[in-house]
Amino acid sequence: MTHSLHRKGIEKDLKKDYVVLAMLAAGFNDKYDDSRQKLIKIGEILKNHNPVNIMPEIGWRTSPTVTATFNNIKTVKKIIRILKKEDLGLSIVISGLISEIEKVVKEVDLGVHTIHFSLGNTFGRRELLPQEKILEITTMCGHHTVSSQSITHYLELIKQGKLTVEKAAKKLTKPCVCGIFNTSRAIQILNTLVKD
Amino acid sequence: MDIKTDVCNGCGQCVIVCPVQAIRMVDNKAVIDEELCVECSVCYRDANCPVNAIRMKRLKWPRVIRVPFSNVIATHKVTGVPGRGTEEMKTNDVTNRFNIGEIGVSIELGRPGIGTHLENIELFTTRLSKIGVTYEEKSPVTALMVDDKGHINEEIKEQRVLSAIIEFKIPDKKLPQILEVIRKVDKEIDTVFSVGIVSRIKDNNTKEIMNRVSQLGFQVRPNAKINIGLGRP
Ligand code: SF4
Ligand code: SF4
Repeated sequence: MTHSLHRKGIEKDLKKDYVVLAMLAAGFNDKYDDSRQKLIKIGEILKNHNPVNIMPEIGWRTSPTVTATFNNIKTVKKIIRILKKEDLGLSIVISGLISEIEKVVKEVDLGVHTIHFSLGNTFGRRELLPQEKILEITTMCGHHTVSSQSITHYLELIKQGKLTVEKAAKKLTKPCVCGIFNTSRAIQILNTLVKD
Repeated sequence: MDIKTDVCNGCGQCVIVCPVQAIRMVDNKAVIDEELCVECSVCYRDANCPVNAIRMKRLKWPRVIRVPFSNVIATHKVTGVPGRGTEEMKTNDVTNRFNIGEIGVSIELGRPGIGTHLENIELFTTRLSKIGVTYEEKSPVTALMVDDKGHINEEIKEQRVLSAIIEFKIPDKKLPQILEVIRKVDKEIDTVFSVGIVSRIKDNNTKEIMNRVSQLGFQVRPNAKINIGLGRP
């Protein structure tokens, strides 16, 4: 799962979109009696910091990862500080604007261990893709479970006054089981699209 | 996936949620295009079908191969990770899968949201194998390969999936050759693909690898995944 890697959007919007992931490494730190407890503890820490979305708790107990989404870097910094202090030994990956993450990581006396970045363009038959703003929403689910026609359908309903932007964003969030779909960013993009 | 047309009331909910537009309304009944359907189960889980007309079908080989490459709930037997990829760099601070002087590459075919036939994998892998790359052992795509020339199992080539990720690593110096392959396939492929580059970072210098990729003529996005080095074995 390249989960949050290919999220689209301009820097200004990405400033409100960070995903924090914790992961057990198979055959390494997943084998101890307290490995699962540590992952669950991280889930609790993330939950206590007002995420805009978070993996359902059943996932913390069954999957090798815990993920949550935040709409500001300040909170992410606080979380990194706590995780550093707790020293649980699980891998932590932050997705979002490189410049911002680098800055806060440095401020808490940590460093960048490994980076995974996306080449700017989608390749191949780009003409098959929906418009960029729609892609900004669909790519917030790394498994692409959010369909582009659900967005256009909900936009129509919003324009007709049959659905609120908030409810539409909530509906769009539902298929994403990892908790990395940024509901508040979706509201912002839907608002822009409604005005267009 | 199967829709019981005798039960369907034509509400259209499933048409809206299908990520690859595989469901159409015919005479006010929802009908799945079997070729387009990637077996992701989104309609089953999220359409809220008011009459329970959407049913999971027991799939036979080779169609069943669509499931692990499309359904987020399905866990690949080879990876143990739900979804289509592996741990890749996410646990690199523990596993050292990617060391200094090595570059990891992830090429995700069909992404974002268009889907791909599995045969497209060979457009890359037959070329990559000639260059000499180390495929990620635990990748589901690697498990489809039948030889060291990058060919995949004939029986599954026509199957369509939501996305398939080719994951491999190379010594740093081979990067230009890999980017050349990406340039070539960009013009040949019948779907879309997205590319990610993994690099172990020395002295917090992320600019070095990103500048290198830019100098080779590729744009780099301002957002990325960053492993902050808190893991240990
Ligand atoms: S959601 Fe159910 S009832 Fe509605 S169109 Fe689809 S199959 Fe028919
Ligand atoms: S299983 Fe997925 S691809 Fe197939 S019809 Fe349902 S939503 Fe569409």
